[in-house]
Amino acid sequence: MTCEEFERVLPELGNDHRIEQDEHLKSCSACSELVSDLNEISKQGRLLQGCEEPSPWVWNSIEVALRQEGLIREQPGNLLVHPPRLSWKLRWLVPAAAASLIFFGVLLHERGGIPKHQARQESPAGVVTADLQTEGMPSEDMQLLNSVAARTPSMRDAYEQNLRAVNAYIHDAEQSANNDPNDEVAQQYLRNAYEQKAMVYEMALDRSLQ
Amino acid sequence: MYRKQRIATVSVVMIIIVAALAAAETTRKEMHFKVGRRANISIVNLYGPISVKPGIGKHVSVTATSYSGKVEIDQSKRGNRVAVVSHLLQRADSDSGRVDYEVVVPMDANVTLHTATGPLHIEKLHGDLLLEGSTANVDVRDVSAGRVHVKTLNGPVTLTNVNDAYVEITSVSGDVSLHQVNGASVHVNSSSGKIHYDGEFGEGGQYSLTSHSGDIEAIAPSYASIEVVARSVQGRVDNDFPLQPEHTSFVTRSGSAFAGTVGQAASSVNLLSFSGKIHLKKREQ
Amino acid sequence: MTDAKKQQGRLSEAEAIERAKQGNADAFEALYNLHKRRVYSLCLRMTANTAAAEDLTQEAFLQLFRKIGTFRGESAFSTWLHRMAVNVVLMQLRKKGLPVVPLEENIETEEESPRKELGGDDPRLAGSIDRMQLQRSIESLPPGYRMIFLLHDVEGYEHNEIAAMVGCSIGNSKSQLHKARMKLREILRTSRAEKATKP
Repeated sequence: MTCEEFERVLPELGNDHRIEQDEHLKSCSACSELVSDLNEISKQGRLLQGCEEPSPWVWNSIEVALRQEGLIREQPGNLLVHPPRLSWKLRWLVPAAAASLIFFGVLLHERGGIPKHQARQESPAGVVTADLQTEGMPSEDMQLLNSVAARTPSMRDAYEQNLRAVNAYIHDAEQSANNDPNDEVAQQYLRNAYEQKAMVYEMALDRSLQ
Repeated sequence: MYRKQRIATVSVVMIIIVAALAAAETTRKEMHFKVGRRANISIVNLYGPISVKPGIGKHVSVTATSYSGKVEIDQSKRGNRVAVVSHLLQRADSDSGRVDYEVVVPMDANVTLHTATGPLHIEKLHGDLLLEGSTANVDVRDVSAGRVHVKTLNGPVTLTNVNDAYVEITSVSGDVSLHQVNGASVHVNSSSGKIHYDGEFGEGGQYSLTSHSGDIEAIAPSYASIEVVARSVQGRVDNDFPLQPEHTSFVTRSGSAFAGTVGQAASSVNLLSFSGKIHLKKREQ
Repeated sequence: MTDAKKQQGRLSEAEAIERAKQGNADAFEALYNLHKRRVYSLCLRMTANTAAAEDLTQEAFLQLFRKIGTFRGESAFSTWLHRMAVNVVLMQLRKKGLPVVPLEENIETEEESPRKELGGDDPRLAGSIDRMQLQRSIESLPPGYRMIFLLHDVEGYEHNEIAAMVGCSIGNSKSQLHKARMKLREILRTSRAEKATKP
């Protein structure tokens, strides 16, 4: 058998390359080397199976489509507000928001809540409301407003107005949570209030808008 | 007669000169970028509107119109990230620093918009959207299959026809209006702004509308499938739906808190306000 | 709360399939995580394009999940999924007018055939092929050769299965596989020779 004849039948010889023409192989180093190389390529090829990983975006898209088509049928959630599932792209927001909430929570706790010198009025219905006209701003809020005024003077009043609204929210939420520490809804109010304050600070300090 | 004609002529000439001067200051800059899938587009513009619409193909085009020489438009592209920034010079104010943006992006692009005054407008995209505007009016419509994250101080926020999305809106005193917004998670957090929802509460999602003093009005169809909790510490709470009671530790109190299920309770709905009014309304068919 | 068995990744495939039929989101995700690498790798090697491979992976899983209610366990789930993935890729290639398999062997021109090397002075490739090198070489193959090589040597399909999937004869499948391996051998030996001559 010649090398040309051998190579002509080589494609038909099967995956495991059991060679019936082994007499030719024993005598021909070139064809023997060829068969060895092809076997090695085939063997290495098998090792490539399933070694790449798609980006997390792929599953996100599949999940959205499955929900849209009604193939995912979730059990009803419980009454508590669950944090939304965040994709890998926005997961950094969770620790950033948590850090902001903790920071403001500690700040306010150390200050004992809203400053004691604030005057408070009671409405005729006996409901306590904050007098937003006379309450002083916490010093860190004043610093923030000064920073805003220095960079974008036209925005200072808007920030002051919104900080006051948020501080009132935090005060009411703290009171509610203190009245009943086991009240999950009150805890939710408090988290929301801190989230609002963190957002105001984040927007005020956004250097990209300088 | 002659005097009147002369005055008219001088007036016309003055108008032409002023218009020419104004036009000379108006600069229109067009930028084009080729991008890949799910490109990240960021526009930072302190003063002025930004409008984002979808285009065909993997191409981003940004048209920036400025009205004075006190603002420069900086652009950069790194890989699949495009950033355009309005850079204010020489103590520019809200008039001289204003830039109007019209942006066309691929439908799957992720878009981030930062502004102080806006307004911001986005429509018909499928990517992740992050919009921040202090006093900006934010309008998002016909968006699906992405994340919509909006933050304003007192800018009103309107979302229309947003589906299959994760929605998170935080506004201190801006009113928030959601029309046909459905998704796996819809979360609105307001201090004094009003929250208005008119939709299905669909897709088996988790809906949370919370405020400090802003009123909350939620309108849903009679066939809504929800598990609802509503409470206002100091405000009035009303409900148009007949609710099936649920075994829960949540304390219902007529006029200020209710909880229960409607239909199959596929979605969960939390309506919480500290001192605002809450009303869960049934949509008129 | 769910017990430990329900945690993602610890769900057995059979349990995940049953729960997915009930619409359980975690079950779908578990099935996806079990098979994503193989499906994605297949798509990536067939298209040599990350974005296209992700799209095709998504489409393959969606088609599978839409039909999961009909799965009765007659064959292995992975086999079922894999065939679906291959079909999705083939449909996509055909839609784009890209060659799936070269024409029958008797129409093939000489330029399409790899240069026949009947030995030479180069030492054997055994033990000297690294994964990245082989991957790059596969990407440089003509699409038809690449398809057959991937289906047979990487994914382990038999020639009769490949012939049925791509619509060619068994003989053509064998012939194309041989030519693909020969071409890869040529590329790998050339690459090694170039490295050897560099200082």
